[in-house]
Amino acid sequence: MVNMYGVYKVYPGNVEALRGVNLNIDKGDFVFIVGPSGSGKSTLLSMIYRGAVPTRGHVLVSGRNIARLRWHEVPMLRRRIGVIFQDYKLLPDRSVYDNVSFALEVIEASPKEIEKKVPQALSMVGLAHKASAMPEELAGGEQQRVAIARAIVNDPLILVADEPTGNLDPDTALDIMDLLCDINLRGTTVVMATHNQVIVDTMRKRVVQLERGMVVRDERWGAYCYEA
Amino acid sequence: MKLRTMRLLSGQAVRSLKKTPSVTSIIVVMACMIVLSSFMLVAVNLTHIGSQFQADVQIRAFLVPDLPSDAVDRVGGAIQGIPGVASVRFVGKDEALQRLGKQLGQDSFFLADLPRNPLPESFDISLTRADVADEVAAATLELDGIRDVRYAPKLVDRLVGVLRILWGVTGAIAALVLVGASLIVSNTIKLTVFARRKEIEIMKLVGATDSFILFPFVLEGIIIGLLGAGGAAAIVYAGYQGVVKWISSVAPFMSVVTDSSRLGLAVIVMLCFGAVVGLIGSNISTKRYLKV
Ligand SMILES: Nc1ncnc2c1ncn2[C@@H]1O[C@H](COP(=O)(O)OP(=O)(O)OP(=O)(O)O)[C@@H](O)[C@H]1O
Ligand SMILES: [Mg+2]
Repeated sequence: MVNMYGVYKVYPGNVEALRGVNLNIDKGDFVFIVGPSGSGKSTLLSMIYRGAVPTRGHVLVSGRNIARLRWHEVPMLRRRIGVIFQDYKLLPDRSVYDNVSFALEVIEASPKEIEKKVPQALSMVGLAHKASAMPEELAGGEQQRVAIARAIVNDPLILVADEPTGNLDPDTALDIMDLLCDINLRGTTVVMATHNQVIVDTMRKRVVQLERGMVVRDERWGAYCYEA
Repeated sequence: MKLRTMRLLSGQAVRSLKKTPSVTSIIVVMACMIVLSSFMLVAVNLTHIGSQFQADVQIRAFLVPDLPSDAVDRVGGAIQGIPGVASVRFVGKDEALQRLGKQLGQDSFFLADLPRNPLPESFDISLTRADVADEVAAATLELDGIRDVRYAPKLVDRLVGVLRILWGVTGAIAALVLVGASLIVSNTIKLTVFARRKEIEIMKLVGATDSFILFPFVLEGIIIGLLGAGGAAAIVYAGYQGVVKWISSVAPFMSVVTDSSRLGLAVIVMLCFGAVVGLIGSNISTKRYLKV
C-alpha cells in the first residue's frame, strides 16, 4: 500500500527532515509512527497524501510514484486517502453534516451519493444524533469524530492520522482509538503519528520509531519506549 | 464541470462580490476604464476626422500641353496602378476653367475675356490613405506626360503624426490600465483566497481538482472586470452623448462618430478588456496564493 525507498526530505534552509527512510506498509496494516518532536513524523505522513514530495528516493502509494503523478492525478490520489490532524480542521460556519458532506461536494459527488454516505459516516463515528450541531457546540473528542467521518466518508484505502489524540483527555483518546481500530478492521490501512505512550503500549500494533529523520526501530507488536 | 457544481461555485463568487473589497476594486477598475475609454473616444474621433481629411486629400497631376488622347489614357492607367491610389479622374481644360470660375466667384467675369483657355489638363488622384501621399506624388511625377504634381504634404504629415501620437498614448494608457487594474483585482481576490484558506486547505486534502478550487476566484475576477468596464462604458457613453449634443450646437461643421455600430464595437472592446483584466488579476493572486 505504501512503499518508501531511501526517502530524503530536505526543507529550505537545509533542514533534513527525513534521511534515508525505508518503509513498507501493507494493506490493512495499523502502524504507529513514534519519535521525538522534530524527528520527521509529520513529514513522513505528508508523503503519503502527497502534501510533500521526497527530495531524494521514492514513495509509492498504491503502486504509484507520488513524485511522478501528473497534476490532474494528484486529486485522484487524495480521494483514496483520508487525513485527520490534531486540530480537526473543521469549518466553523458549517454544521456537522455539512462538514462531512463538504468532502463529497467538492469532488462533485451526486446528491444521491452524498445523502447515502454522509449519514453512514456519521453513524460510524457515533454522531448521527448531532448532525445539525455546529462544531463549536461539540466537545473535542466529538469534533475529532466529525473529522474522522469526513476522512472516511469516501471509503479511503488509507487513513493518515497526525497526532489525532494530541488535544484529547486520556479517556476520550482511547475512544478515538477504538474508532480507528474499527475503521482498520473494515480493511482501511491506518498510519498514525503519536506521542501517546499509553495508547501505543496498550494497543500493541506495529511501531515505527523515527529519530532525526531515520527509522531506528520497526517492531511488529511494539511498545512506545524510546529514550527521549 | 457539472452544471450543478457550476451553480454552487458561482454562488460562492457572487457572495464574495458583495463584500467591500470587491466593490472597491470594481470602482477603481471603473475609474481606470473611464480614463482609458475617454482617450479611446478622442482618438477614434480624431481618426474619423482625419479620415475625412484624407478622403479630401487629393493629388493633382498636371499634364504636359497638347498630349494626344491615347497618351492621356495611358498615363491615367499608369497612375491607377500606383499602390495607394483609390481613384483617378481626368479633368479637361473646360472643366478646369469652370472650376476656377467657381473658386473665383464674383471675380470670375474676367475669365470670359481670356483669348484662349490657358489651363492645363490634369488628373485628380484620390488616395486610400493620407500617409502614402508622398510616395504616390513622387511616383506620379516620374511618369512621362506629367509636368507637375500638387498636394498639401505638410497638413497631411502633421495629421498623421498627431494621430500616431494619440494612438500611442492611448495604447500606453491601455497597458498601464491593464497592469494597474489587474493588480487591484488580484489584491481583492487575494483577500478572498485568504478568507477561504481553511476551506481551500480541506478541498485540497479531500481531492478537489484544481479547476474546481480555482473556478470561483476566476469567476469573481472576471465579474469584477466586467462590472468595472460595464459601469465605465455606461458613464462614458452618457457623457459622450452630452458632448456630441454640445458639439453639434457650437460647432455643427465638426463631424463626430455617432453611428451605433462603431460605438457598440467600442463598448464590446471595453467589456473584453475588463474581462481580460479580471482574468489576469485572478490568475496573479491564485498563482501566488493558491499553490495547488
Ligand atoms: N514546511 C517546512 N519547512 C521547513 N522545515 C520544516 C517544514 N516542516 C517541517 N520542517 C522541519 O522538519 C523537521 C521535521 O518536522 P516534522 O514536522 O516532520 O516533525 P514531527 O516529528 O512531526 O514533529 P512533532 O512531533 O513536533 O509534530 C523539523 O526540524 C521541522 O522544523
Ligand atoms: Mg508533527
